[in-house]
Amino acid sequence: MSDRLSLAYMPSIGLRYCGGCNPQIDRSKVIRKLEEGLKERGMKLDFTTNRKSTVDIILLINGCMHACFEEEYLGEGNSPQFISIKGEMVESQYVKEDHIPEFLIKKIVDLLNSPSH
Amino acid sequence: MLNGKEYIDSLRGLNLEVYFFGHKIKSIVDEPMFQPHIHAAAMTYELAHDPEYEQIMTATSHLTGERINRFTHIHQSIDDLVKKVRMMRLLGQKTGTCFQRCVGLDGLNAVYVTTYDIDQKQGTNYHERFKKYLLDVQKNDWMPSGAMTDARGDRSIRPSKQANPDTYLHIKERLEDGIIVSGIKAHITGAINSHEIITMPTRTMGEEDRDFALSFAIPADTKGVTYIFSRQTNDTRRLDGVLDGGNPKYGIVGGEAIIVFKDVFVPWERVFMAGEYEFTNELVETFAGYHRSNYGGCKVGLADVVIGGSNWIADAHGINNASHIIDKLTEMIAMAETCWSCTLACSYEGYRTPSGAYHINPLLANVTKLNITRMVYEWMRLAQDIAGGKIITLPSEKDLESPETMEILTECFTGKKGVSPRDIIKMLRLIENMSVGAGLPEAMHGAGSPAAQKIMIARRSGIDRKMELAEIIAGIHKDKYFEDIIGKDETAHWDEVKKKIKGKKVQIY
Repeated sequence: MSDRLSLAYMPSIGLRYCGGCNPQIDRSKVIRKLEEGLKERGMKLDFTTNRKSTVDIILLINGCMHACFEEEYLGEGNSPQFISIKGEMVESQYVKEDHIPEFLIKKIVDLLNSPSH
Repeated sequence: MLNGKEYIDSLRGLNLEVYFFGHKIKSIVDEPMFQPHIHAAAMTYELAHDPEYEQIMTATSHLTGERINRFTHIHQSIDDLVKKVRMMRLLGQKTGTCFQRCVGLDGLNAVYVTTYDIDQKQGTNYHERFKKYLLDVQKNDWMPSGAMTDARGDRSIRPSKQANPDTYLHIKERLEDGIIVSGIKAHITGAINSHEIITMPTRTMGEEDRDFALSFAIPADTKGVTYIFSRQTNDTRRLDGVLDGGNPKYGIVGGEAIIVFKDVFVPWERVFMAGEYEFTNELVETFAGYHRSNYGGCKVGLADVVIGGSNWIADAHGINNASHIIDKLTEMIAMAETCWSCTLACSYEGYRTPSGAYHINPLLANVTKLNITRMVYEWMRLAQDIAGGKIITLPSEKDLESPETMEILTECFTGKKGVSPRDIIKMLRLIENMSVGAGLPEAMHGAGSPAAQKIMIARRSGIDRKMELAEIIAGIHKDKYFEDIIGKDETAHWDEVKKKIKGKKVQIY
C-alpha cells in the first residue's frame, strides 16, 4: 500500500457520471466493485458525487467510448487530475468491463503517489 | 494536392499489367472502357481545389500541418468523421456512381489504428513505419486501393488449409530485407487506377494462419502484380456511342478488378502486419466500420441524383403533380435521409482510439450499411416505377441518329412542350444505369454482405443489458427508481394496491 494511502488523511474521489443514455458497461457496478476492491486492500478513500466538494481525483464515468462527458469536462477547463472511463476503455487502453475496477485501483494508487499530487 | 487532370496524368507514369477481354491493355488512361471510372476518381482530386468544396474536401495533416486532400487524412476529431461522410455524399452527387477512393482512405485509417495497438502490445515498430508511408501518401496525394477481400476458395476451410494457398494472400518467405508474398485479392475497387495497393486480411486469422495475417503497401505497378479488370452491367455500351451508357462520364460502380500477387517482394518498411494474427480481427472490424459508415454518405448522394432524375422525368411526362408521384418521391427522400441520419449518427457517436485517430461507432455503422442493403433497392424500385417501362425498352442511340428512324423516334419520345426528346432519353438512360445495373448488388455486398453486418450488430448490441431493462420493468428485478418515486418497498406497494382494489370488479355489460 502507498505511504500516501496509509496516512490518517483520507483521499477523496469525485464521481462524475455521464448521462448514461446507452452505456456499454454497468457504471454503478464498476464503481461498486472499485469500492469493494479498495476496501479489500485496506485502502480508505472517500467517494462523493457532490460537485462542490474538493477532491483529490475525479473519476469521469462515461458509459461508452464516445465519452461525451469527457469532452464537456475538459471544455470547462477543469483540473487535469482525473481518470476517464469510456465504456471498455480507460484513458487510452482497452479494458474489459470485469477488469476495470482492478485497473482503476492501480491508476488511483499511481496518481495519489505521484510527486505532483 | 493534385487536381483531376494532374491525377489522370500521374497514372500515365505507372506501368500496370492489366488484362481485359482477353487482351493486355496498353494504356489504362486511354482505354475507353476504363475512362469513366478514372473520371469518377478524378473528381475526388478536382473538388479539393474548388473554394466551394475545399472545407469538406481537404483537411490539415496531423503529421505536417499541411493542407491535404481529405482522402489521405487520418481522422483527428468527431468533426473529421462528420466531414468524411459529408464528402462521400457530395461526391456521390457529383458522379452518380462510385468514386473509389474511400477504400484506400479507410485502409489508411484502419492500419493506422491497428498498427498502434500491435506495437503497444508486442513492442514492434509497425506504427512508425506506417506513419512514414502515410507521409508519402499525403505528400504525393496518392490514391491507394484497399485490397481486403481474398479469393477465399472453400469458405468452410481455414486459409492455411486451402488446397491452393493462393486463394488467400500470404507470406511465402521471410527475408532479411522484406517478405515474398503470393495470393489473389478479388473485387478490388479502383485497383487499376490507383497509385498504390494497401492490403489487409479478409477475415480473422488463427495461429495456424499466421502467414495469412498480413498487411502491406506497394506501388500498384510492382513486379509480379497483375490485374484482371471485371465487367459491369451494359459496360460495352460505352463502345456503342455516348447516350446508351447512361452515365458515360463516370460509369457504373467502381471498376473492380482481381489483383494477382505472384512472388511479390515487399520491403520491411512497407510491411504493417506480418503474422500478428491476434490483431486481424481488429484490423478487419476497424476497416469494416469505417467503410460501412461511408455507404450512408455516397449512396445517399446517388439517391439525390436519382430522386432528381425521377422528378425530372415525371415533370417531362407531365405527371409531376400526380399524388402517387409525389408520394413515391417523398418515400425516396425519407429513405435516403434515414440512411443519412444513420451515417451522421455513427460519426457523431465516434470515439478517440488509443492511437489518437477517431473511429466511428461500429454498431451504428453496421446499422447504416444494413439499411443501405435494403433501402437502395427500394428507392431504385420507386425510380423505376416513376420512370416507366421505357427504361428497359429504349432504342439505341444509333437508331435515334439514323435518318430512317430519327423522326419517328423523336415523335415517340416527345413529352411536355419545350422538353427535348433526346434529353428525355438521356435522363431515362441515367435512371436505367443507376436503378437496373450493378449498383444494386454493389449496395448489397460492397463493404460486406448483410450477414456480416448482422453478426457485428448482434455482437455489439448489448442484448444482456436490454434483458436487464425488461426484467426491471416487468417487475422481475427490483426497480430502485420506482421505489423512490412511491416512497416505499415495491412488494409493500403492490400489497397495498391489491387491498385497495379488493372487491372492485370490472363491470361487463
